Amino acid sequence: MKRLLALGALVLIAAGCARPAPGKPAAAKAAPTSPSYELRLGRATYQHYCQTCHGETGAGDGFNAFNLDPHPRDLSDPRFQKAKTDADLADAIQRGGAGVGLSSLMPPWGKSLTREQVDQVILYLRSFEKH
Amino acid sequence: MPLRRLFALTSVAFVVVLAISPAKNALRPYRALQRRFAALGVARARSAQQARGYAARPVEIRQIWLPELDQRVDRCTTCHLGVGDPVMKGAPPPFALHPWTPHAPGQIDRFGCTSCHEGQGPATSEGQAHGTAKEAGPPLLPVAYVEGGCGRCHATQVVPEALVLSRGRAVMDRYGCFACHAAKGHEGFHSDAPPLSSEAVKTGAEWLRRWLKKPRDVDPNSTMPDFQLSAREIEELTHYVLGQDVPEDLARRVGAAADEPAGDVANGKKLFAEARCISCHTVEGKGQGSAPELSKVASAASRGWLLAYVRDPHAFNPRTPMPRYHFSDTESRDLVAYMEDEFRDFDAPADVLEPLHVNRTLAEAGEKTFRKYGCPSCHGAPGARSAEKFGPDLDGIGDKKAAFLDFGRRTDLPRTLTAWLTAKVDAPRSFAKGLRMPSYGLSAEDSQAVVTALLSLGAQPVPEAYRVLPASQPAPIPAGRVGELVDRYRCLSCHQIGDRGGDISTSPLTFEGSKVQRDWLVDYLVLSYSIRPILTERMPIFHMPREEAVQLADAIETIFVDPRVPEDPFRGRPASDADPAEGERLYTTLGCRGCHILGSKGGYYGPPLTDSGGRLKPGWTFAWLKGPQRWRADVRCPDYGLTDRDALRLTAYLATLHAPAAPARGAK
Repeated sequence: MKRLLALGALVLIAAGCARPAPGKPAAAKAAPTSPSYELRLGRATYQHYCQTCHGETGAGDGFNAFNLDPHPRDLSDPRFQKAKTDADLADAIQRGGAGVGLSSLMPPWGKSLTREQVDQVILYLRSFEKH
Repeated sequence: MPLRRLFALTSVAFVVVLAISPAKNALRPYRALQRRFAALGVARARSAQQARGYAARPVEIRQIWLPELDQRVDRCTTCHLGVGDPVMKGAPPPFALHPWTPHAPGQIDRFGCTSCHEGQGPATSEGQAHGTAKEAGPPLLPVAYVEGGCGRCHATQVVPEALVLSRGRAVMDRYGCFACHAAKGHEGFHSDAPPLSSEAVKTGAEWLRRWLKKPRDVDPNSTMPDFQLSAREIEELTHYVLGQDVPEDLARRVGAAADEPAGDVANGKKLFAEARCISCHTVEGKGQGSAPELSKVASAASRGWLLAYVRDPHAFNPRTPMPRYHFSDTESRDLVAYMEDEFRDFDAPADVLEPLHVNRTLAEAGEKTFRKYGCPSCHGAPGARSAEKFGPDLDGIGDKKAAFLDFGRRTDLPRTLTAWLTAKVDAPRSFAKGLRMPSYGLSAEDSQAVVTALLSLGAQPVPEAYRVLPASQPAPIPAGRVGELVDRYRCLSCHQIGDRGGDISTSPLTFEGSKVQRDWLVDYLVLSYSIRPILTERMPIFHMPREEAVQLADAIETIFVDPRVPEDPFRGRPASDADPAEGERLYTTLGCRGCHILGSKGGYYGPPLTDSGGRLKPGWTFAWLKGPQRWRADVRCPDYGLTDRDALRLTAYLATLHAPAAPARGAK
């Protein structure tokens, strides 16, 4: 996670539409990949609202998950990632588990998060697969 | 004849000269770009009509004119033709659609480009616009710092969608930048660093030398920077600080405490845990971390000082966020006995707390050193003028032109404002000899964030229509006895009241009176327990006398209320009419137990609801259920969009829940 944070901070450089000005400062030298602005927002939203149950890496091992039955799903499972379209994920986040025929322990976030926030979280969820 | 020839030649020359300008114009790169864009548009168009639209676009200079934003003219869209065009999602530069941000691509017409990216809006060639050409104006801001632009309009400390900026502002606040530097909006900043007049009865010379050498080596939580002092300066400062006249009252308190008998370590351990010291302090890194690390404190401070300080920290440092607990004399002795037993630095030399025989000459030199480095800005000093700041003003620093910056010895740096600021933050003394700004040892991310926050400090305020100011919400803290108690227990160090206060607690007190039952609150203040046992930061047990708790609870009950919370959500009908059984069913089907503990079941995240009937007012439960985010924007309890009827049913159900030990409490 620390690595991710560091990456996130560094990579802003390459994102966006502007071209880099000459002479980037030392802190901004290496920019191997570029989690975009949206991805960083998605990470912040995930960490605030989702991580308590779904865990830092999406494995469903957040501290609040301990006492939950059924257990939160492993979001980093490649099969899960493949089986669900972005629209499926958005639906589950917005309407909650109960809304899509799963456990009601996953609450509906559609009235608390904006559509942009949901999309950003999905963008971040998709990055779990690669870890 | 020659005249005619001459005439012909000049005519030709004249025509050529006349043609230069149109020819130059016709060959300008943006024209070719616009033709390429049209071709790309035709290829990407989703319908024949759309394609015709692209083909028919005239080749011309395009601009966004913002009469309300200082008559700003941005011609960036002359080349960046697709910034607001969804068809151009993922197109090659410079035609791509702008990535999503709160203001772009949706509101490019209101904000333009240079308000975030800087650079030269009116220019129509790449080199001039981006500031890369010779003699061009200030260049584009590297995208890493683009959130500096957000901060020009958004004056709030936290800007939710500008993570880097918000982090930078928090870092600047934590490290006390505004103690030395003035900036608009930070006029009221005061460091909570301790006054140094009683150091002589607190610590010894050896400890102070180690501290001055590198504060963060002694205490990782310290926000005091590294002044890179020479051995001589350290010695001078040590003599100056330890040579100060200790206020008589404090010397007497410490002296008397030092003579008291030793306390009970085991009871002290229990008290230490109950007092929830790690809600602010850390012990071997565990804890919240805004206050000093305690694992070696008994080797940093004398027993007498620790005892006197724990009893009344405000006498030693009026600005400390630490509450004044209500320990009895025996209890404080026990607490300090535990700290003396447990929190020692076993690597420290035996004489670490030995007093110093003060050398007056060194002490006098030390006073000069003390002022030379601006120490009074945080610690205060006898006769120090507080009106004038030690360092230069920061207003307008984000608008400085690179050509006017003094790079001094830093010939290695690119000549840009961001590079200059980064070096100023990371290695402030590297520019010239004799500079005095200390080194803060920030991580790369913190440093980037601070530079971003600095870039947001413009020379001129943005026009009113664009400004987003912090919401001002009154903090109606009464004067008199209740005000004294709020001050004594330093409620504002953790809790927010209106727009004041800290964020250590997740519970603002602004409408606490509408939220909790008065009788519960009295009991809670006397013997607080953890509402959220999973948290590190918990409400301390202050050993508050019941009489004080009653006064505070009564004041909260009458003052900290919100008219949006109904007095009686059931409107006179008995709660049972709202059907608690149906509410219980809702509690299960909605999945409330995912976060809340009820009895022994449920998640850990939300507050336990086992005693919700005794703790919460039904009006609050109802108002909360109707939209938790109305009460705290970032609260994690989701808005289920409940109907009034369902919210009432749940309210009725939760009102029936009481802790088994106190079945009658607050039921009336």
